[in-house]
Amino acid sequence: MRFSHRGTKDSREPWFGVRRDLSAKRSSILSLVSFALPLAIWAGVSYLPFLWHPDIRLQISADREDVATVYIAGDRVSKGFFPQITSAVRDQNASIEAQWKSDDPLGGSTESAVRRSNKKILRHLAPVLISNGVIDEGQSKDDAAIYRAWKDIAEGTLDLDSPELAGENITIVQQNWKSMRSVSETYDSDNSISRPLLSLIPQGKSANPDYLPSPDQVVAAGVKIFTQPPEGDRPSMLQRVGHSMRIVFGGFFLAALIGVPVGVLCGTYSFFSKLVEPFTDFFRYMPAPTFSTLLVAIFLANDAPKIALVFVGTFFQLVLVVSNTTRRLDLPLLEAAQTLGANQMQLLMRVVIPGILPNLYNDLRILLGWAWTWLVIAELIGVKSGLTEFIETQGRFRNFDMVYPVIILIGLIGFFTDQILALLRGVVFPYTDEGSAASANPVIKALLFLPRWFKDAAEQRLPHLPDKSTHPTRA
Amino acid sequence: MKPSLPDAIDYREQSPEVQERFSRLKERPVVLSVEGLGKTFPTPGGEVTALKGVDFEVFRREFMCVIGPSGCGKSTLIRILAGLETESGGQVLLDGNPVAGPGPDRGMVFQSYTLFPWLTVKQNVMFGPKMEGKSGSSVEGEARQWIDLVGLSQFENSYPHQLSGGMKQRVAIARALANRPRILLMDEPFGALDAQTRAQMQSYLLQIWRNLDITILFITHDLDEAVFLADRILVLKANPGEVDEIIEVPVPRPRRLDQSIEPEFIATKHRINQLIHPESEGKEDTLPFARMTVEGDDVE
Ligand SMILES: Nc1ncnc2c1ncn2[C@@H]1O[C@H](COP(=O)(O)OP(=O)(O)OP(=O)(O)O)[C@@H](O)[C@H]1O
Ligand SMILES: [Mg+2]
Repeated sequence: MRFSHRGTKDSREPWFGVRRDLSAKRSSILSLVSFALPLAIWAGVSYLPFLWHPDIRLQISADREDVATVYIAGDRVSKGFFPQITSAVRDQNASIEAQWKSDDPLGGSTESAVRRSNKKILRHLAPVLISNGVIDEGQSKDDAAIYRAWKDIAEGTLDLDSPELAGENITIVQQNWKSMRSVSETYDSDNSISRPLLSLIPQGKSANPDYLPSPDQVVAAGVKIFTQPPEGDRPSMLQRVGHSMRIVFGGFFLAALIGVPVGVLCGTYSFFSKLVEPFTDFFRYMPAPTFSTLLVAIFLANDAPKIALVFVGTFFQLVLVVSNTTRRLDLPLLEAAQTLGANQMQLLMRVVIPGILPNLYNDLRILLGWAWTWLVIAELIGVKSGLTEFIETQGRFRNFDMVYPVIILIGLIGFFTDQILALLRGVVFPYTDEGSAASANPVIKALLFLPRWFKDAAEQRLPHLPDKSTHPTRA
Repeated sequence: MKPSLPDAIDYREQSPEVQERFSRLKERPVVLSVEGLGKTFPTPGGEVTALKGVDFEVFRREFMCVIGPSGCGKSTLIRILAGLETESGGQVLLDGNPVAGPGPDRGMVFQSYTLFPWLTVKQNVMFGPKMEGKSGSSVEGEARQWIDLVGLSQFENSYPHQLSGGMKQRVAIARALANRPRILLMDEPFGALDAQTRAQMQSYLLQIWRNLDITILFITHDLDEAVFLADRILVLKANPGEVDEIIEVPVPRPRRLDQSIEPEFIATKHRINQLIHPESEGKEDTLPFARMTVEGDDVE
C-alpha cells in the first residue's frame, strides 16, 4: 500500500516516511545526488591532499649506488619509505664530500665509472626541467641543454617554480657546478667531469596510488584514447566497442532465440518442464568460465567461442526465468479462455504468449544485464579482443588512467541500454500501468511523435484520403 | 437482519401470479440437468468430499441462484458445470448431452477479474467468436452490440486496467454472452464490488436476462442478492456439499429494490438463513466481553 501525497505542500512532506513516495522533484534531485555523491567522493579524495594520499610521487629520481631498485621521476613510493631514500642519498653525498677531502677522490672507483654516474646525476634534473618548460620532453637526454641548466641554476639566472628545487638541492647544484665549471663552462662529451658529483636529494609531492587516477586524468585519458588513431593495425576504440557489443548481443540473442521458446514450453506444459528443467537447473550451477577452454577447442579462434561463452552463461538461466514467468501467468485467464472456446493451441498462442510478454520483456532486460557480466571473461578466452584486451594491456603497464574510461564506458552502455528498454516498455505495452505512465513521459512523447509525424507527412502527400469521421456510423 | 415480524408469512405461500409463472417455467425444456453429482479431492490428509449426490435441473431462461455457507462446494459445482473440473461421480447434461471439458456453450463469469489485459474491451468481447475461427471484421459489429448492451460503448477501445471493477465485470458478461452460450455460469461475479455498484450490476443483469434467450446459474453468498435475482434458489449445505433445499422465490417479477421490505422477500431470506445458520436460530451472537469502561459511562 502506498500513500499518495497529492494535494499537499511539498515542503510539509517529510523526506523520510515509511513507504511514502517522494515528489517528482525530490525524486529527481535524489537521482542526481546518487550520481553526484560518488563523483564528489572521487574528486575529494583526488584533489584534497589531506584526504588519503598515502604515497609520494617523485619529481626527482632516487637512484643510489649499490641499490638495485631504481625510482625514477613519476614513480610513487609510500610516505613511510620516502624519508629512508632521502636520508640514504644524503648519507651518500656526505661520503662523497668526505672523499673529495680524502686522498682518494674517486673512492676506489675507476674514472670511467665516475664519469658514467656523473652523467646520470646530471640527467636527474631533466624531469624537473621538462615540467618547468626549460627543455622539451624530447630533450631528456640532451646533455648540453641540461648542462646549461645546471649552470643557470647555480648562477641564479634560472629560477624553477613548478616544481621548485628544494634549498638543499640548490646548494647541491651550486656545489656540483663548482666542480663542473673547473672542467668546462659548457658540455663537452670528450672532457666530462671525473670528480664524483653529489646526487640531488629526491623530491616529491603527496599523491594517491596509481590505481586511483583523478577525474581529470581519467577524462583526459578518455578523450585521448577515443580521439587518437590506433597504433598500426590495432583496432580503434570504436571498433573495440562494436566488437564487444557484438559478442554480448550475439550471445544474448542466440540464448533468447532458443531459450524463450524452450522456457515458454516448459512453463506451459508439465511435459517439457519435467523433461528440461532438472538438467537445466543442474547445468546452471557450473560456472560458464569453466567451459572456456572447451569452447575454444570446439569453436576455435575468433568470436565463436566468445559468443558461445555468453550463450552458456545466459541460456540456462534464461530458460528457467522464462519458464517461471510463464507459470506465473494468472490461471483464471487460461480458464476464462477455455470457457470462451479456446483450444490447446489457441491457449498457447492467444493467451499464454501475449499474457507473459510484458514480464518476458522485463526478464530479457535483466538477462541482458547478466550477459554483459560475461563480456570480460569471453573476451579473454582464445585470442584476447575488444575492450577487455585494451583494459588488460593498459592494466599490465599500470596505465590505470586508460583503464577507467573503458570500464566506465562499459557501464554506460549497459546502463543506457537498460534505461532505454525500460522507457520503451511502456510504449510497447500500452496496457500495463507503465504504459499509461509512459504516454505522459516527455521523452516517450517525443519518440511517439516521430512516427506520427511521418505518417501525417505521408498522408498529406497522398491526393485525398476519405475522412473516417464522415463514414456513416451505427445509429 | 433477523426478520421476526409478527405477521411473517410462509415463504412457500405464492400469489396466483407467481404460481402461474412457476408453472410456465417448469413447462420449459430443461437446459441443464445435474444428476447425482459428486466430487472428492485427494489431499495429503485424505480425501475431501466437496460435493455429494447433487441433483437439480435448470429450465430454459430460468435465473437460478446457488447459495450456501463458505466452503460448501459452490465454486466446485460451477467449475464442474463449466468443465474446468471433472466430477468424481454422477453426470452433467446440457440439453440432454453429457458435458466434457470447457466449451463456448457454457459462458462463465468469474469473481476475479479475468479480462485479457493486453486486449481492448472490444477485442476482449471478440475473443470467443474469434476462437471459432471467425474473422475479426465479421464479429466486430456484433461485439459492439454486446458492448452497447452492457452500456460501455464509450470504452470499447479502452484497456481493462483503465476500467473500474464494475465495468470490468460488465465487459466479462458481454464477453461471455458474445459466444451465445446456452447457459451463463456466474461465480460470485459481484463479490468484489462495493454495495452501490453491486446493486446497479444486479439490475443490469436482470435487464440483460429479461431481454435475451439466456439461462443463468448464479453463485452468491449474499441472501439479498439471491432473493432479488433468482427464480429459484438452490441452497447447499456443507460437509459434504449436498442440496439442502430448492426454494421457489415468491417475490413477483419484475423485481424492484423496494421489494426487499415486503413480507415474502423477508420470509424467503429468513428461511435461507435458517438453512445456512441453523445453530444461530434464536440466539444472539455475543462475544465474551468483560466490561472495560468506568461504571456509569454507558452508551446503551
Ligand atoms: N483443488 C482442491 N483441492 C482440495 N480441496 C479442494 C480443492 N478445491 C476445493 N477444495 C475443497 O472443497 C471444498 C469446497 O470448496 P469451494 O471452493 O467449492 O467452496 P465454496 O462454496 O465456493 O466456498 P466460498 O464460498 O468460500 O467460495 C472446500 O472444503 C475446499 O477446501
Ligand atoms: Mg467459491
